[in-house]
Amino acid sequence: MTATSPAPAAVELVRVRKDFGSAVGVADVSLKIGQGEFLTLLGPSGCGKSTLLGMIAGFLTPTAGKIVVDGVDITDVEPYRRNIGMVFQSYALFPHMNVFDNIAFGLRMRKLPKAEVAGEVRRAIEMMKLGGFEERRVSQLSGGQQQRVALARAVVIRPKVLLLDEPLSALDKNLRAQMQVELSELHRKTGLTTIFVTHDQGEALSLSDRIVVMNRGEVQQVATPIELYRTPANGFVASFIGEINALPVARYERDGGEAALVLPGAGRLVAPAEGNFAHGAQVRAFLRPEHVRPALPGEDRPNIVSGVVAAHIYQGSHTITRVEVDGLGLIETRVTGADIVGTHPVGAPIALVLDLGDAVMLAANAGRIDA
Amino acid sequence: MTHRRPFFITFLAPAVVTAVILAAALFEVLQYSVREFVPGSLNVGGFTLENFTRINRPIYWWVLLDTFYISLLTALFSLLLSYPVAFALVRARRDWVRSLLVSLSITPLFTGEIVRTFSWMLMLGSDGFINSMLRKLSLIEMPLQIMYTRLGVVVALVQFSMPVMIILLATAISHVDRDCEKAAANLGASPGAVFWRITLPLTLPGILSGIVVVFAWTMSAFSTPQLIGGGKVLMISNLVYLQGFSVLNLPFAATLSLIALIAALGSLVLMKSLTGRLEKRLAVR
Repeated sequence: MTATSPAPAAVELVRVRKDFGSAVGVADVSLKIGQGEFLTLLGPSGCGKSTLLGMIAGFLTPTAGKIVVDGVDITDVEPYRRNIGMVFQSYALFPHMNVFDNIAFGLRMRKLPKAEVAGEVRRAIEMMKLGGFEERRVSQLSGGQQQRVALARAVVIRPKVLLLDEPLSALDKNLRAQMQVELSELHRKTGLTTIFVTHDQGEALSLSDRIVVMNRGEVQQVATPIELYRTPANGFVASFIGEINALPVARYERDGGEAALVLPGAGRLVAPAEGNFAHGAQVRAFLRPEHVRPALPGEDRPNIVSGVVAAHIYQGSHTITRVEVDGLGLIETRVTGADIVGTHPVGAPIALVLDLGDAVMLAANAGRIDA
Repeated sequence: MTHRRPFFITFLAPAVVTAVILAAALFEVLQYSVREFVPGSLNVGGFTLENFTRINRPIYWWVLLDTFYISLLTALFSLLLSYPVAFALVRARRDWVRSLLVSLSITPLFTGEIVRTFSWMLMLGSDGFINSMLRKLSLIEMPLQIMYTRLGVVVALVQFSMPVMIILLATAISHVDRDCEKAAANLGASPGAVFWRITLPLTLPGILSGIVVVFAWTMSAFSTPQLIGGGKVLMISNLVYLQGFSVLNLPFAATLSLIALIAALGSLVLMKSLTGRLEKRLAVR
């Protein structure tokens, strides 16, 4: 899976591999990360994203492959000579130092003159809105403030690359949303090449220039958030990014300009004909809940299926309704507001319109979901 | 919110009994210390403060000072020798290395003080292991005098106290957040700098409590200075023994015990307040 980045590569991974005994942590990952790019490594826990980050930081040695930063092979360079900033999931702030000393640590290690250290730290404190907290113990700070100290400490050394290891996961929901905004502001202000690790697809979609989806140590897809959402490369990506309905495997039938999916037990659905599947191919369609809607009374058009309401998940601005559809299994539809809870209570029959024009169609073998 | 604790009194009883007995014993020591010494008799005379005025002689002050000095030296050397062991014990990658270090450092705790002291006498004597080895290697001609010296006593006491020091330090070291060390390395700290600026300060609470515990423990050492010091190195317990069981001056022995107790408690309080202040200043979680 190669994706070209427009800017010259700040970080290049060349067939990087990490084995843990006989288990594969990261399998031959090659990746180019552009100067100033915000790249996210996204995947479920154990997918190898943190291992990859650890190798870039230098805490883990790759079993094979090389890591190049700014054109220099750093695979065998010790962590403390790499000049790569990192924010840890636990923040790893030094509990025996105050905010100022935490932020100054990296500069002092670089033996900068005292006045220069003070100036740089002051700038970082200002940028992260930590003014007035210089003398505070880190244990006296809130989670969000600790997060900002960790960020300030990492960016003040002007690293070549900034690594963020699930930095938002310890924060509560509101704070997380706010820190997302601050993270992207920080990225814009500093222009630092940033590699962000998360298992939260929402964070990944909102922050990233590009997202690398990983599973079981392997890269599944590298794409921009919009591409990833619209055209997932396989079933894993389709189901990992956002909510999606996976229809059962179907036979693709093509007749001139018309195409159809033949589902065993559910009949024929009219499908878009622009796909490059051969007549008779086994395909799987993925359909987002927003592309499924309740049929209007008396509506008559193709791709209307009927089922029984199984559950409503009320989300405030919208409702996710789960419908047990004959032959298709559970299909989720996303409806604005909460009216559907009244009009179609649980157990009531309901007709759904499947908007297959917006569906993602994948060959059945690529549609395997192994999340 | 009130909790019913049905067995509270029952569970507390052993502690109360122990405390009462201890208090009674201390009271007995206290009342002995203000009685007259009747030479040639184990019975004591009437009330007197003479025992306390007798304390005020240089020889007794020297023993007290020496006890402080030996305890402090023991605590410091015990710390220096135990830290690397504790560090290796916690950070060893292989399980068998860890188990080996644990058993090597903890087993001495289960051999009696007398046994250990006797082993040291075999090691340190004029014909002991150390001297005969040094002579065989032609490094010395005359045997070194280690037995009956402060050095010998300190050596044995250090070994005696190391298991406890190692346990306390290992606990502290195992609580150091490894991510903090990684973060320091990430910010440009060499392995040495990581140790001095992160690991060591974060284990300071363990270091301080190790020093306090070993110091207090050594203050009351008896058989080691008795056997290895052989009467030439006197610690306060040996002085008490001498007065109580050789001279049979029980009132004065009681007074010395009381002084030793007060000195030990006093130095503990002093150390606690010092370390408390230090810890607060470092505010280590």
